[in-house]
Amino acid sequence: MTAVALVLGFLVVAQLRGQVADASLSQQSAQDLTLLIANLNTHNEQLRGDIATLEQQLADLTDSHSRGDSAADQLRAELAQIQGWAGLRAVQGPGITIQVAGEISGEGVEDLLNELRNAGAEAISIGGVRVVPGSVVAGAAGALSIENTPLSGTFEILAIGSPQILTGSLTRAGGIIAQLSVTFPDAQISVTPLEAIAIPATDRNLAPVNGKPSL
Amino acid sequence: MTAVARRLRELPSWQVTLSAALLVLGFLVAAQLSAEGPRIRYTSQERVPLVETVIGLQTQQDSLKDRILALRAQIGDLEAELPASAAQEKALNAELEQARIASGLAQLAGPGLVFKLEDADGALGNANADGLVTARDVRILIQELWLAGAEAISVNGERITTTTAVLDIGNSILVNSAYLAPPYQITAIGPTDLYDRVSGSASFVEFVTSRVDPSGIRLSFAEIESVTVPAFAGTVSGRYIKPSAPAP
Repeated sequence: MTAVALVLGFLVVAQLRGQVADASLSQQSAQDLTLLIANLNTHNEQLRGDIATLEQQLADLTDSHSRGDSAADQLRAELAQIQGWAGLRAVQGPGITIQVAGEISGEGVEDLLNELRNAGAEAISIGGVRVVPGSVVAGAAGALSIENTPLSGTFEILAIGSPQILTGSLTRAGGIIAQLSVTFPDAQISVTPLEAIAIPATDRNLAPVNGKPSL
Repeated sequence: MTAVARRLRELPSWQVTLSAALLVLGFLVAAQLSAEGPRIRYTSQERVPLVETVIGLQTQQDSLKDRILALRAQIGDLEAELPASAAQEKALNAELEQARIASGLAQLAGPGLVFKLEDADGALGNANADGLVTARDVRILIQELWLAGAEAISVNGERITTTTAVLDIGNSILVNSAYLAPPYQITAIGPTDLYDRVSGSASFVEFVTSRVDPSGIRLSFAEIESVTVPAFAGTVSGRYIKPSAPAP
């Protein structure tokens, strides 16, 4: 009985997912499909690179393990990488600084952050506050805050990544800054590439209370 | 009528359930088979190979992500099997576990809320642009959930992390570079009164009254005792970012 239910459930999900996604794809224009293909190719390449790194890591660990050697260095390196990425540790690197002045809503700033991530920003801070899942810039224009820290009239966004790609992506014609200047004509947003940026760790406690690891 | 009803009630319930299950099963198999025809009819000549390429790449992407998750699990398991005397390594390993859980690299289960966002009825066919769900709509719901105290969020299985971008592509969205088609299920784990907190937010009410209602896009929700938010299966390594020394 449960077996039938299981197969049924699986088929339902597979059927719905397959039909919905494929039906949706067949509605896209050739141009969007081409864009999607480029996107998928880039991402798949990135994932292959990650797999190679992880396989090397696994091989190194297996080596130390079988030789009875200390894996402390490897553990420290992995910890540093995960904490750096997640916002649990301060980080440094090249990137850009964005000065934001004038009237812009929390929504507008969030759109800007989304574009920064799209352009490959690897760490972001606003007004000195590290942006992590859970931090949201909220409020009406002139009354912005992030994580209970009010953002003054002119505030700074720092982002670590490729200074050229970040700058180019944000400032291109029709890009996010151009769009924001239409919605918020009184806002001034300027981008400057920087060689060395320091972004602090988050003050937020990211450990889940209601969620427990499953699997 | 009542004689039939009585007869139906007398049937052992498992027989009724089984027949219903088999009926639905039969329907699904038939639907799957018949889905082949209509799908090809909708696409024009030039788009068929493009769609097939996308599907192929997505299948590749899915297996690459599965491989990443499997490797991370193997690494975690290996790191956990440390000799009892290696106190330092044990401490590092514990920190690593905590970092994985806090950063989105671990699947979580807990009380939560699921929002479902769908295009307005018939919006796609009628070229009713307003009635199509945009990436922005999804981002606004995600922001509202964070503000209300959510601890972990995923959209159609894609975990929201520090580097996650939610983008428009045609009439669908990309999350973590994965192509997602509507309906969008935004799953969040958080305090048991999460929905009350979200619905009490002025900006959420504004979103519903000025965007959802007028456009006809459909927003529904369910509060669930235990939802699962999957692990992030993507890149955590950065090319420009360098972690600083740990705080003393």
